[in-house]
Amino acid sequence: MVFFQLLALAGFLAGLYGIYIRYAQTKARAFPADKSPLKGNPSHGIAYAFTKGMMPWAKESTRLHMIAYLRGIGFHIGIFTAIGALIISPFWTLLPSLLSLTLGWALTLGAILGAAGGLMRIVEHNLRGLSIPDDHFAVWLVTVWMAVSAAAVWDEAWMAAYYILSAITMAYVPLGKIRHCLYFFFSRVFFGKFFGRRAVYPHPDVAK
Amino acid sequence: MSDAKLSLDFKGLLCPMPVVKLAQAIKQIQVGEILEAIATDPGVMADIPAWTRSTGHELVSLDKREDKTFKFVVKRLK
Amino acid sequence: MTETIELALKTLEAQLNQPLETALEACARCGLCAESCHYYRAEPKVKHIPAFRAERLRSVYRYEHDFLSRLFPVWTGAKKLDEPTLASLTEIAFSQCTLCRRCTVNCPLGVDTPLMMRAIRAVTTASGTAPEILVMLADAAIEKGKDPSFFKDMFLEQIAEMEEQLRDITGDPTATIPVEKQGAKILYVPLAGAHTILPPAAVFNVAKEDWTLSIFEAANYGVFLADVNRAKQVAKRIVDEANRLGVKEIVIAECGHAYASYRWDVPNWFAGQFDFKVRSLIEVLADYIRDGKIKVDPTAIPEGVTYHDSCNLARNGGLIEEPRYVLKNVVRDFREMTPNRDQAICCGGGGGLVALAEYAERRIAAGKPKAEQIKQTGARIVVAACENCRLQIGDLNERYKLNVQITAITDLVVRAMRLPKPLPGHEAERLFEGEEAAVVRE
Ligand code: SF4
Ligand code: SF4
Repeated sequence: MVFFQLLALAGFLAGLYGIYIRYAQTKARAFPADKSPLKGNPSHGIAYAFTKGMMPWAKESTRLHMIAYLRGIGFHIGIFTAIGALIISPFWTLLPSLLSLTLGWALTLGAILGAAGGLMRIVEHNLRGLSIPDDHFAVWLVTVWMAVSAAAVWDEAWMAAYYILSAITMAYVPLGKIRHCLYFFFSRVFFGKFFGRRAVYPHPDVAK
Repeated sequence: MSDAKLSLDFKGLLCPMPVVKLAQAIKQIQVGEILEAIATDPGVMADIPAWTRSTGHELVSLDKREDKTFKFVVKRLK
Repeated sequence: MTETIELALKTLEAQLNQPLETALEACARCGLCAESCHYYRAEPKVKHIPAFRAERLRSVYRYEHDFLSRLFPVWTGAKKLDEPTLASLTEIAFSQCTLCRRCTVNCPLGVDTPLMMRAIRAVTTASGTAPEILVMLADAAIEKGKDPSFFKDMFLEQIAEMEEQLRDITGDPTATIPVEKQGAKILYVPLAGAHTILPPAAVFNVAKEDWTLSIFEAANYGVFLADVNRAKQVAKRIVDEANRLGVKEIVIAECGHAYASYRWDVPNWFAGQFDFKVRSLIEVLADYIRDGKIKVDPTAIPEGVTYHDSCNLARNGGLIEEPRYVLKNVVRDFREMTPNRDQAICCGGGGGLVALAEYAERRIAAGKPKAEQIKQTGARIVVAACENCRLQIGDLNERYKLNVQITAITDLVVRAMRLPKPLPGHEAERLFEGEEAAVVRE
């Protein structure tokens, strides 16, 4: 098992390094400083972008597609749970049984939500038209990985498969679309700065 | 009334529409031919000469007329 | 590789800064942004989803920059830039996106799609494939700046005539429209045409403002081309004029892109030579009303009035409550469109599209959601504080039979000031009352 654990660790570190390279590459690019006189507050804008602005009721789009948005949020929570689970995987046997049961179910739920997303991508006209092969691959890769994580939490027989799949998934993160997890942070910060400066977000509460 | 190949009516059009329409219309005449147009937006008094200067066509004339309209004549040079 | 393509790629490369790379990388292709775009609302097709548009540029970017895409282009839809692709990018950026940023505020990741559309515009401008008319309009404006003498006399002559009209309207024989007044507090920058000079002149005179009129116009077609070099040259005319006259403040006419660029971009372009406060005329009106510098009759305008948020003023400019404050002071029956403010739907006329005659049909079709919004309010007067919006809503008025009057905020303020004579176009006390409507709209 140690071999498989080391393999997963290698995949994990490769993924982390890849993301770091991406981060450094983007950070090395120019950032246009904005010296225009403030109307609002860019820091408040950034805070808004990561909190209130992410709430399902904050935007027309997420109000309109509430189910899809909540599915996406659930899926992503599942992914972060799975990453946490991977990090503590050598100690799974030490978890109290209730906790490992919960973990297993959380991962299963994540996998179900992932599969729903994968299917939507195939079935739904707009999503299909928008998707590139990488999108389909990425969602199924992560979904299967989460499902196998759940299986491994419950049944040690899955451990080897789990670590191999973990290595592949983690190593793939910086290579394909999954790296949007890094750019999410860049994007929300720029969003917050732009709209915060202009006092568009957060906007003083008024009846709309 | 004149030897213009094309006579256009830009009355009621606001900036930048007279220039937009003029730029389209100039393509319908041959090099060396002229077109004339009438506009009501006083903005043309600056915009049409600026356009001919930057595009290299010739502004033959630009007059303000009694009825508060503006008439201009442009010759296609390129 | 042809020279055009080489130039195009070089321009893309030069623009690749942190925000652009982020926009190119962040999209998860979740499709949530579809309905945020008025093009999609008008015609719900995949090609009108903002993310689909952005993917056209991403495929080119990936081909140049992404490791996996270079090995397996099919995997990520990567594509080498060629002439037909460049032509289709040009068409997308200039006819299928008004740069309204509504998709950005509706994207869970905040992907800046219009930033990518701007990048395309810059690429096409540099490689000589951008719509000719925008280039012409920008160049004509630059020409005016180089040598104002060729139009200045005519301009002053017109201003003198307008001054006569102004005195008539205000009933004040000393009312003036000062031009090139050294040391004035405010430099007011209008658009071409009397309709953006006369109404503010009336307000400035009544408010006893220390102002002077710019001999140039606020519009900047370089901005629409995303051509910073041209845009700077156009803006420089006004920056120089303001410096020469020693004014404290630049006030921009009711114009969306001009406000957004002078308020938020120009200070960056001219850092060090730009010590002016920039305000929109709307902010000035709001202050005058608040400070009692002008008196307005809140019952003066009985018709139902609705306000269209220009994307450049509201979402991209931060001017959201100011116009409402002014309108609520002069209008009896104010009705909001739904949605409004930061979520306002674009009218379809932004991004310089109004000047592109070849895409007029597309633009008017994409304005349908706005037309429906207007209809739902039942208002008879639509106020828009942007010239491009007003032109577009004028077209929508005709196409969708809205039967509304389209006006600027300042015009209504002047009407509510109850001056001795009305502004041209506002002669009737009630613009809509039976037959009167037809007369006024003629
Ligand atoms: S731009 Fe945003 S909302 Fe649209 S598909 Fe991409 S991530 Fe989703
Ligand atoms: S900026 Fe506006 S017009 Fe352009 S894609 Fe986004 S929503 Fe559509």
